Amino acid sequence: MCPEHEQLHAYFDGELAPGEQMHVKQHLAACATCRAELATLQAGRSALRAQFREMQAPQPLRASILRALDAEEQQVRPARRAAGWRRPFWLGMLGGVGGLAVTAALAFFLLFAPQMNLPEQLVAAHVQALRSGHMIAVVSTDRHTVKPWFAGRADVSPVVVDFADQGYRLLGGRTDAIDRQHAAVVVYEHGAHFINVFSWHAGTAEPPPDTTLRGYHLAFWKTQDLMYCAVSDTGWSELKGLEQLLSFAGERELRP
Amino acid sequence: MGDSRGRFEAQVLLHLDAAYRYARWLCGSAADADDVVQEAVLRAFRGFDGLKGEAKPWLLTIVRNCHATAAKQHQRRGFVPLPEEQELEASGAITDTAPGPEDLAISQDQGRSLERLLAALPEAHREVLVLREIEDMDYRQIAAVTNVPIGTVMSRLARARATLKAQWAASAAGGLTDVP
Repeated sequence: MCPEHEQLHAYFDGELAPGEQMHVKQHLAACATCRAELATLQAGRSALRAQFREMQAPQPLRASILRALDAEEQQVRPARRAAGWRRPFWLGMLGGVGGLAVTAALAFFLLFAPQMNLPEQLVAAHVQALRSGHMIAVVSTDRHTVKPWFAGRADVSPVVVDFADQGYRLLGGRTDAIDRQHAAVVVYEHGAHFINVFSWHAGTAEPPPDTTLRGYHLAFWKTQDLMYCAVSDTGWSELKGLEQLLSFAGERELRP
Repeated sequence: MGDSRGRFEAQVLLHLDAAYRYARWLCGSAADADDVVQEAVLRAFRGFDGLKGEAKPWLLTIVRNCHATAAKQHQRRGFVPLPEEQELEASGAITDTAPGPEDLAISQDQGRSLERLLAALPEAHREVLVLREIEDMDYRQIAAVTNVPIGTVMSRLARARATLKAQWAASAAGGLTDVP
C-alpha cells in the first residue's frame, strides 16, 4: 500500500498542510486504489449528510427553551447580579437543580393553571397582563412583525391584522399559558381600552358561549381548529365588531 | 429582551439544531435529547459572559457535559467532568465506550439501515464521526468538544469510518435494499 494512503483521511478532511495536500492530490491522479478509497469516504459522508443533516430541533423544544430563557432572564439573572459575591462551590451543584426547578415550575404552571375554567384563565391572564405592565412582548403595529414573532414562542399561528381604520389599532403580541398551551395573544387598542385576543389549538371543541366575568366581556369564536377569545372592558358591540373583522380575516386567509 | 439575550440568540441559539442532532446521537432517545438540550442551553445562557471562542464547539461541549451528568444520574455509564466541575468530582474520569441498551433501542425502533449502523458504533467513535461528517467540524474543534487529543480524534474517526464501511457492505450483501 502506498504511503499516501495513510494521509487520505486528513486529505479528505482538508487537514493537511498546503504542500502535503498538493502532494496527495498529485498522487491521486496516478493511484486508482487511493482514488477508490477517496470515493468511498465521499460516499459515506454524502449518505450521512443526506439523511441526518436536515434533522432539526422539534418546535415544542424550541418553544420550551425560549420560555425557559424568558424565565431565566426575568428571575435568575437580576438576583445573581444583585448578590454580587463569588459563588461558593456548592452553588454549582445547585445550578443544575435550579435549571430543573425553572423547568419544573413551568411544567407545574402549565399543568395546574387549567384547573381554573377557561373564562377564569383568560380573565386572569388579561388582568395580570394589564397589571404587570408586560402586556406586549413584541411591540409593533405591523402584522408582518407580530405574526412571525409567534413562531417558536406560541403553539399556534393566529390571524394578525391591523384594523386601525376601523378603530382597532394593533399594538403587538405576547404568549400566555392557556388550556395547557402556549397561547398566542394579539393586543389591540380601542379608544381608551385594551383588547387581548387569545388564540390556541382547540381541535374539534366547540367555542363556549360568550360570557362576562369580573366585569370583563369574553367573546369566543373559532376559525378551523383555532379557538379565539377576545377579552376586554369595552362594550359588547365594540368587542363583537373586532370578532367579526378577525373572523372574516381568518376565513379569508384559509382560502387558497 | 436584554442585549445579552439578543446576542445569545444570534451567536449560540443559532446552533440549536446542531446541538439537538448531537444530543440525539449521544442520548439515543428523543425525550432524553430534549432534556439534555434544554438544560445545556440554559447552562450556556448562564455562562454566556464567559464565551471567548467559537460558539458552536462551546455549545456542543456543554451538551456533551449535560449528557454525561444525566447519564451519571441514571448510572448508566462513566462520567468525564469538565474542568469547572472537577472540584465537585473527587473521583477520576472513566469513560465506558461500550454501546448501552439505549443504543440498541434505536435499532429496534427505527429500521433504517444507516441509522442502525451509526447507532451500533461505539459512542466514542460515533460522536467523532457525527461531528466531522454531519456537523462539518474540524479536528481541532472535535478534540475540544470530546476532550481528547487530536491524534485520538483522527484514530477514532478512521476506525468509525472503517467500521461503518464494513457494516454497510455487510448489510448490503445481506440483501437490505434501503441502503443507498
